[in-house]
Amino acid sequence: MSLQMIINAILLGGLYALMGIGFSLQWGISGIINLSYGAMVVLGSYISLIIFDVFKIDPFISMLFSGFLLFLIGAFAYKFIIQPSIKGGIVFTLIITFALRLIVENLILYIWSADYRTIRISYAGRNFQFLNSFVPLTKFITFLIAGILIYFTHLFMMNTKIGKGIQAVSLDKIGALAVGVDDKKMYLINFAVGTALAGITGSLWATVYSFSPHVIDVIIGRVFIIAILGGLGNIWGAAAGGMLLGFVETCGATFLGAHWQEAIGLAMMVLILLFRPHGLMGKKFFGQ
Amino acid sequence: MNIVWIVVAIIIFTILPNFISGYYIRILTAIFMYAVLSQCINLMSGYMGYLPFGHVMFFGIGAYMTAILMRGNLPFIVAMLLASLSAIVVSIILGFPVLRLRGHYFAIATIGMNGALMTVVQNIDITGGARGTTFPIIMLPPGQVYSYFYYAFLALMIITTFAIYFIVNSRFGFAIRSIKANEDAANSMGINTTNTKVVTWAIAALFTSIAGGLYGYWMSFIAPDEVFDLMFITNSIIMMLIGGAGTILGPVIGAFIVETVSEFAWSGFMEYHLAVLGIITIIIVFFVPGGVIGTITEKIRDRKIAASIKSEVAANDR
Repeated sequence: MSLQMIINAILLGGLYALMGIGFSLQWGISGIINLSYGAMVVLGSYISLIIFDVFKIDPFISMLFSGFLLFLIGAFAYKFIIQPSIKGGIVFTLIITFALRLIVENLILYIWSADYRTIRISYAGRNFQFLNSFVPLTKFITFLIAGILIYFTHLFMMNTKIGKGIQAVSLDKIGALAVGVDDKKMYLINFAVGTALAGITGSLWATVYSFSPHVIDVIIGRVFIIAILGGLGNIWGAAAGGMLLGFVETCGATFLGAHWQEAIGLAMMVLILLFRPHGLMGKKFFGQ
Repeated sequence: MNIVWIVVAIIIFTILPNFISGYYIRILTAIFMYAVLSQCINLMSGYMGYLPFGHVMFFGIGAYMTAILMRGNLPFIVAMLLASLSAIVVSIILGFPVLRLRGHYFAIATIGMNGALMTVVQNIDITGGARGTTFPIIMLPPGQVYSYFYYAFLALMIITTFAIYFIVNSRFGFAIRSIKANEDAANSMGINTTNTKVVTWAIAALFTSIAGGLYGYWMSFIAPDEVFDLMFITNSIIMMLIGGAGTILGPVIGAFIVETVSEFAWSGFMEYHLAVLGIITIIIVFFVPGGVIGTITEKIRDRKIAASIKSEVAANDR
């Protein structure tokens, strides 16, 4: 295993970590398996694309806007579509979020068609050298931003009043209600934070890879694996899961061929589910 | 009363192909196929409470095994039955570990298995890899081919519906329903829940794989990302919900409604058909959460209760 491979794996893992956290929070704390998550990520990419095309603004800046927009979309979707369906159980939330995905996917197809798109920023092809290995500049910035955002999410969850409220409802809903935490509001904010992270991930994705509506399926497959590897609702667990998936995919692609990397990730997920259902780093989950 | 309507419906569908064009025969065939899939999801989710989101893997296994065996010069019926046997074996092997998981985790584990299986099929030679594989061409005029699959899927739908009807009303069926009501209680009452779950999954896999084999032969060309597509299962779940989960005719009625609507969405709003489907799904989940059958039976029951209260009040007044 060469140094170049390790660098590639870490850079990929950083993006995966950020991608998995939103999904893991939504599933672990709000209790929603959000099948529209992939569509939200890709929507974030397209928002950055349109801003880049019209105003020539760098995706690393416009990611703030796509995060904000996706926060609003997530809040509205949760309030008006998802929350009323929760009482129907898992079948209803799965179908509702899938329907949401269909609507967003159709919107993207209608506006931008099914072609692959890229955002060509001026410094896209640049590298710098680190101990005989090359580090692509955009991937490195993406990695840094992902790390900072993960830390901010952690700070938000641990140090703000709302974050503490979210932690409280995820640990013990009835206890939290008893001390005056508005559980519905906490679930809503948590869900919206998750979609906001999806939007930011989308903008970052757009600087590194090309994207199209087909990417939705790729992303949804990855976030399932990351969330389950890390343990649901656990920020650092999801970050570790993303990193692990980055390593496994890079190694799998090198040693077995790129075709097999998906199967390896999925097989790993099924095994984790069977033998350690609360994730590699997860504690026993209180929200069941 | 009910049985009369069902016999009438079967007779109508048997003679219908003589009066309608190939386009409508095709739509009806697709409806019958979805009714079978939806019926299997209904057995697992509506009656037993386990949502097998990746159940489409048995559809894919059925299609691929039939294709591979038919290339070995086996006749279609034999190949299809052997393929369904292999699906049963797979469901039993996977069922024992996976059916220990509950709720979300079971649904996700089956999605993972489906994805892993699809990648394997894409990467080995015997299945033709990602390019897909073909079935032998049927040497018949197109009209006869259409009606062949029409009757095959019609028969499969009827058999599946009756089989599941008898299963859920048998002693074994009560075990299945007790798992949905409360698995731990069922276990402590002496029901072997593990075996019940695995056998139920094997039954669902049997009918799904037969539908897969027929679908492959009907399309005459299959590719991994087509027959392992989760869309089949999401559609079937929507159908089950619309018709009424845990009712025997619900999935069939749901299949008719959803396929008609999505065909209409295709032809009427080509560019927004996915969004139309999504919006209709959301509306249905909000306004008829019990499904068509569930809502109707509820109405009938309410009316009966109201009538009995009225007669009681009248009796008291007298």
